[in-house]
Amino acid sequence: MSELAGSAVFFALAVVIIGTALGVVLNKNLVHSALLMTACFIGVGILYITLEADFLGAVEFMTYSGGVAILIVMGVMLTHRGEGVPSNPFNGRELFAAVLAAVFVTVMGLVVTFIQIPPGGGFVSGDTVADLADMMLNTYILPFEIAATLLLAALLGAIILAKGDGEA
Amino acid sequence: MTIGLTHYLLLAAVLFAIGMFGVLSKRNIIAVLMGIELMLNAVNINLIAFNRYLPVHDLSGQLMALFAIAVGVAEVAVGIALAFRIYHDRSTINVDELNRMKG
Repeated sequence: MSELAGSAVFFALAVVIIGTALGVVLNKNLVHSALLMTACFIGVGILYITLEADFLGAVEFMTYSGGVAILIVMGVMLTHRGEGVPSNPFNGRELFAAVLAAVFVTVMGLVVTFIQIPPGGGFVSGDTVADLADMMLNTYILPFEIAATLLLAALLGAIILAKGDGEA
Repeated sequence: MTIGLTHYLLLAAVLFAIGMFGVLSKRNIIAVLMGIELMLNAVNINLIAFNRYLPVHDLSGQLMALFAIAVGVAEVAVGIALAFRIYHDRSTINVDELNRMKG
Protein backbone atom coordinates (compact mmCIF):
# COMPACT_ATOMS: atom_id res chain seq x y z
CA MET A 1 0.00 0.00 0.00
CA SER A 2 1.40 3.38 -0.90
CA GLU A 3 1.95 5.97 1.79
CA LEU A 4 -0.85 8.26 0.62
CA ALA A 5 -3.37 5.45 0.44
CA GLY A 6 -2.33 4.29 3.92
CA SER A 7 -2.92 7.75 5.37
CA ALA A 8 -6.26 8.07 3.56
CA VAL A 9 -7.43 4.71 4.95
CA PHE A 10 -6.31 5.62 8.48
CA PHE A 11 -8.07 9.00 8.49
CA ALA A 12 -11.25 7.58 6.96
CA LEU A 13 -11.29 4.89 9.65
CA ALA A 14 -10.58 7.47 12.36
CA VAL A 15 -13.55 9.57 11.20
CA VAL A 16 -15.82 6.50 11.17
CA ILE A 17 -14.67 5.28 14.61
CA ILE A 18 -14.84 8.65 16.37
CA GLY A 19 -18.10 9.61 14.66
CA THR A 20 -19.90 6.41 15.54
CA ALA A 21 -18.49 6.41 19.09
CA LEU A 22 -19.83 9.96 19.57
CA GLY A 23 -23.15 8.74 18.20
CA VAL A 24 -23.17 5.93 20.79
CA VAL A 25 -22.86 8.30 23.74
CA LEU A 26 -24.96 11.19 22.37
CA ASN A 27 -27.90 9.35 20.81
CA LYS A 28 -31.26 9.62 22.58
CA ASN A 29 -32.45 6.18 21.45
CA LEU A 30 -30.62 3.25 23.02
CA VAL A 31 -31.28 0.90 20.07
CA HIS A 32 -29.66 3.41 17.71
CA SER A 33 -26.71 3.61 20.12
CA ALA A 34 -26.32 -0.18 20.02
CA LEU A 35 -26.37 -0.28 16.21
CA LEU A 36 -23.86 2.60 15.99
CA MET A 37 -21.67 0.64 18.40
CA THR A 38 -21.67 -2.25 15.91
CA ALA A 39 -20.47 0.14 13.19
CA CYS A 40 -17.78 1.44 15.55
CA PHE A 41 -16.52 -2.10 16.23
CA ILE A 42 -16.43 -2.90 12.50
CA GLY A 43 -14.25 0.20 12.04
CA VAL A 44 -11.96 -0.94 14.86
CA GLY A 45 -11.73 -4.41 13.28
CA ILE A 46 -10.64 -2.91 9.95
CA LEU A 47 -8.11 -0.81 11.86
CA TYR A 48 -6.65 -4.04 13.32
CA ILE A 49 -6.31 -5.43 9.80
CA THR A 50 -4.41 -2.31 8.69
CA LEU A 51 -2.10 -2.97 11.69
CA GLU A 52 -1.20 -6.42 10.26
CA ALA A 53 -3.34 -8.17 12.89
CA ASP A 54 -5.74 -9.97 10.56
CA PHE A 55 -6.74 -12.71 13.01
CA LEU A 56 -7.63 -10.15 15.69
CA GLY A 57 -9.65 -8.24 13.09
CA ALA A 58 -11.69 -11.37 12.44
CA VAL A 59 -12.06 -11.96 16.19
CA GLU A 60 -13.26 -8.38 16.60
CA PHE A 61 -15.90 -8.80 13.88
CA MET A 62 -17.16 -12.07 15.35
CA THR A 63 -17.16 -11.34 19.09
CA TYR A 64 -17.79 -7.61 19.28
CA SER A 65 -19.79 -6.63 16.22
CA GLY A 66 -21.53 -10.02 16.25
CA GLY A 67 -21.90 -11.34 19.77
CA VAL A 68 -21.65 -8.32 22.03
CA ALA A 69 -23.86 -6.14 19.82
CA ILE A 70 -26.63 -8.76 19.70
CA LEU A 71 -26.35 -9.31 23.45
CA ILE A 72 -26.68 -5.57 24.07
CA VAL A 73 -29.63 -5.16 21.67
CA MET A 74 -31.34 -8.05 23.49
CA GLY A 75 -30.59 -6.37 26.82
CA VAL A 76 -32.05 -3.11 25.53
CA MET A 77 -35.23 -4.80 24.35
CA LEU A 78 -35.69 -6.86 27.52
CA THR A 79 -35.42 -3.77 29.72
CA HIS A 80 -37.58 -1.50 27.55
CA ARG A 81 -39.82 0.85 29.55
CA GLY A 82 -42.43 1.45 26.89
CA GLU A 83 -43.08 4.30 24.46
CA GLY A 84 -42.57 7.86 25.59
CA VAL A 85 -39.89 7.07 28.15
CA PRO A 86 -36.50 8.31 26.90
CA SER A 87 -34.39 5.18 26.65
CA ASN A 88 -30.95 6.77 26.95
CA PRO A 89 -31.05 9.88 29.15
CA PHE A 90 -28.12 11.76 30.67
CA ASN A 91 -27.79 11.81 34.46
CA GLY A 92 -27.10 15.53 34.87
CA ARG A 93 -23.33 15.18 35.27
CA GLU A 94 -22.52 15.44 31.57
CA LEU A 95 -20.63 18.74 31.98
CA PHE A 96 -18.36 17.18 34.61
CA ALA A 97 -17.90 14.11 32.40
CA ALA A 98 -17.12 16.21 29.32
CA VAL A 99 -14.53 18.27 31.23
CA LEU A 100 -12.91 15.09 32.57
CA ALA A 101 -12.82 13.53 29.08
CA ALA A 102 -11.30 16.73 27.62
CA VAL A 103 -8.63 16.77 30.34
CA PHE A 104 -7.88 13.11 29.62
CA VAL A 105 -7.46 13.73 25.88
CA THR A 106 -5.25 16.77 26.56
CA VAL A 107 -2.95 14.91 28.96
CA MET A 108 -2.71 11.82 26.75
CA GLY A 109 -2.12 14.04 23.70
CA LEU A 110 0.78 15.78 25.44
CA VAL A 111 2.24 12.46 26.60
CA VAL A 112 1.95 10.91 23.13
CA THR A 113 3.40 13.97 21.39
CA PHE A 114 6.45 14.36 23.61
CA ILE A 115 7.30 10.71 24.27
CA GLN A 116 10.37 9.21 22.60
CA ILE A 117 9.33 6.31 20.39
CA PRO A 118 12.24 3.88 20.04
CA PRO A 119 13.10 3.25 16.39
CA GLY A 120 13.40 -0.19 14.90
CA GLY A 121 9.90 -1.02 13.81
CA GLY A 122 7.71 -3.76 15.13
CA PHE A 123 7.05 -7.40 14.54
CA VAL A 124 5.02 -8.33 11.47
CA SER A 125 4.03 -11.96 11.30
CA GLY A 126 3.39 -13.72 8.01
CA ASP A 127 0.97 -16.14 9.64
CA THR A 128 -0.65 -14.60 12.71
CA VAL A 129 -2.88 -17.60 13.46
CA ALA A 130 0.03 -20.06 13.64
CA ASP A 131 2.23 -17.67 15.65
CA LEU A 132 -0.55 -16.79 18.12
CA ALA A 133 -1.46 -20.46 18.59
CA ASP A 134 2.19 -21.33 19.13
CA MET A 135 2.59 -18.70 21.87
CA MET A 136 -0.77 -19.42 23.43
CA LEU A 137 -0.11 -23.14 23.85
CA ASN A 138 3.54 -22.84 24.92
CA THR A 139 4.66 -19.71 26.77
CA TYR A 140 1.22 -18.42 27.72
CA ILE A 141 -0.50 -21.71 28.54
CA LEU A 142 -1.37 -20.65 32.11
CA PRO A 143 -3.21 -17.43 31.13
CA PHE A 144 -4.94 -19.43 28.40
CA GLU A 145 -6.27 -21.95 30.92
CA ILE A 146 -7.26 -19.18 33.31
CA ALA A 147 -9.17 -17.46 30.49
CA ALA A 148 -10.98 -20.72 29.76
CA THR A 149 -11.98 -21.08 33.43
CA LEU A 150 -13.06 -17.44 33.52
CA LEU A 151 -15.30 -17.88 30.48
CA LEU A 152 -16.92 -20.99 32.00
CA ALA A 153 -17.50 -19.21 35.32
CA ALA A 154 -18.90 -16.13 33.56
CA LEU A 155 -21.29 -18.24 31.47
CA LEU A 156 -22.60 -20.14 34.51
CA GLY A 157 -22.85 -16.91 36.49
CA ALA A 158 -24.73 -15.16 33.69
CA ILE A 159 -27.24 -18.02 33.38
CA ILE A 160 -27.86 -18.19 37.14
CA LEU A 161 -28.17 -14.40 37.42
CA ALA A 162 -30.61 -14.15 34.53
CA LYS A 163 -32.78 -17.10 35.55
CA GLY A 164 -32.60 -16.87 39.36
CA ASP A 165 -31.66 -19.93 41.51
CA GLY A 166 -35.16 -20.86 42.63
CA GLU A 167 -36.95 -20.85 39.30
CA ALA A 168 -34.85 -23.23 37.21
CA MET B 1 2.54 12.01 5.74
CA THR B 2 3.40 8.65 7.28
CA ILE B 3 1.02 7.10 9.75
CA GLY B 4 2.95 6.09 12.87
CA LEU B 5 2.43 4.97 16.41
CA THR B 6 1.47 8.50 17.52
CA HIS B 7 -1.61 8.57 15.29
CA TYR B 8 -2.92 5.27 16.62
CA LEU B 9 -2.28 6.30 20.24
CA LEU B 10 -4.14 9.60 19.72
CA LEU B 11 -7.09 7.83 18.10
CA ALA B 12 -7.22 5.35 21.00
CA ALA B 13 -7.04 8.20 23.55
CA VAL B 14 -10.01 9.96 21.92
CA LEU B 15 -12.00 6.71 21.79
CA PHE B 16 -11.19 6.03 25.46
CA ALA B 17 -12.29 9.56 26.42
CA ILE B 18 -15.60 9.13 24.56
CA GLY B 19 -16.19 5.85 26.39
CA MET B 20 -15.32 7.49 29.71
CA PHE B 21 -17.78 10.30 28.96
CA GLY B 22 -20.47 7.69 28.33
CA VAL B 23 -19.73 5.79 31.55
CA LEU B 24 -19.81 8.95 33.67
CA SER B 25 -22.80 10.70 32.12
CA LYS B 26 -25.35 7.98 31.33
CA ARG B 27 -28.29 6.97 33.46
CA ASN B 28 -29.12 3.61 31.86
CA ILE B 29 -26.98 0.70 33.05
CA ILE B 30 -26.73 -0.74 29.50
CA ALA B 31 -25.48 2.60 28.16
CA VAL B 32 -22.80 2.50 30.87
CA LEU B 33 -21.82 -0.99 29.67
CA MET B 34 -21.52 0.34 26.09
CA GLY B 35 -19.14 3.02 27.33
CA ILE B 36 -17.01 0.35 29.03
CA GLU B 37 -16.89 -1.59 25.74
CA LEU B 38 -15.63 1.50 23.89
CA MET B 39 -12.88 1.94 26.52
CA LEU B 40 -11.83 -1.72 26.21
CA ASN B 41 -11.55 -1.36 22.44
CA ALA B 42 -9.39 1.74 22.80
CA VAL B 43 -6.99 -0.23 25.00
CA ASN B 44 -6.86 -3.07 22.45
CA ILE B 45 -5.99 -0.60 19.66
CA ASN B 46 -3.06 0.55 21.83
CA LEU B 47 -1.82 -3.01 22.43
CA ILE B 48 -1.92 -3.93 18.75
CA ALA B 49 -0.29 -0.65 17.66
CA PHE B 50 2.54 -1.23 20.19
CA ASN B 51 3.04 -4.71 18.74
CA ARG B 52 3.23 -3.23 15.23
CA TYR B 53 5.51 -0.23 15.88
CA LEU B 54 7.70 -0.92 18.93
CA PRO B 55 10.78 -3.16 18.71
CA VAL B 56 9.41 -6.50 19.89
CA HIS B 57 10.24 -10.01 18.69
CA ASP B 58 6.93 -11.85 18.90
CA LEU B 59 3.17 -11.30 18.88
CA SER B 60 2.81 -10.79 22.65
CA GLY B 61 0.88 -7.52 22.16
CA GLN B 62 -1.70 -9.18 19.95
CA LEU B 63 -1.96 -12.09 22.40
CA MET B 64 -2.62 -9.70 25.29
CA ALA B 65 -5.31 -8.01 23.18
CA LEU B 66 -6.85 -11.44 22.60
CA PHE B 67 -6.97 -12.11 26.36
CA ALA B 68 -8.43 -8.63 26.92
CA ILE B 69 -11.16 -9.41 24.38
CA ALA B 70 -11.98 -12.67 26.21
CA VAL B 71 -12.22 -10.88 29.56
CA GLY B 72 -14.30 -8.07 28.02
CA VAL B 73 -16.80 -10.47 26.48
CA ALA B 74 -17.20 -12.36 29.77
CA GLU B 75 -17.78 -9.02 31.50
CA VAL B 76 -20.52 -8.05 29.02
CA ALA B 77 -22.31 -11.38 29.50
CA VAL B 78 -22.34 -11.00 33.29
CA GLY B 79 -23.23 -7.29 33.04
CA ILE B 80 -26.24 -7.87 30.78
CA ALA B 81 -27.43 -10.74 33.01
CA LEU B 82 -27.13 -8.44 36.05
CA ALA B 83 -29.02 -5.65 34.26
CA PHE B 84 -31.79 -8.07 33.30
CA ARG B 85 -32.01 -9.38 36.88
CA ILE B 86 -32.11 -5.88 38.36
CA TYR B 87 -34.85 -4.88 35.90
CA HIS B 88 -36.79 -8.04 36.73
CA ASP B 89 -36.65 -7.34 40.48
CA ARG B 90 -37.05 -3.54 40.60
CA SER B 91 -38.45 -2.47 37.18
CA THR B 92 -35.67 0.08 36.70
CA ILE B 93 -32.12 0.07 35.42
CA ASN B 94 -31.39 3.68 36.33
CA VAL B 95 -28.03 3.62 38.11
CA ASP B 96 -29.01 6.66 40.22
CA GLU B 97 -31.91 4.78 41.79
CA LEU B 98 -29.96 1.61 42.53
CA ASN B 99 -28.59 2.44 45.97
CA ARG B 100 -29.81 -0.48 48.05
CA MET B 101 -28.03 -3.81 48.26
CA LYS B 102 -31.10 -5.47 49.71
CA GLY B 103 -34.18 -6.09 47.56
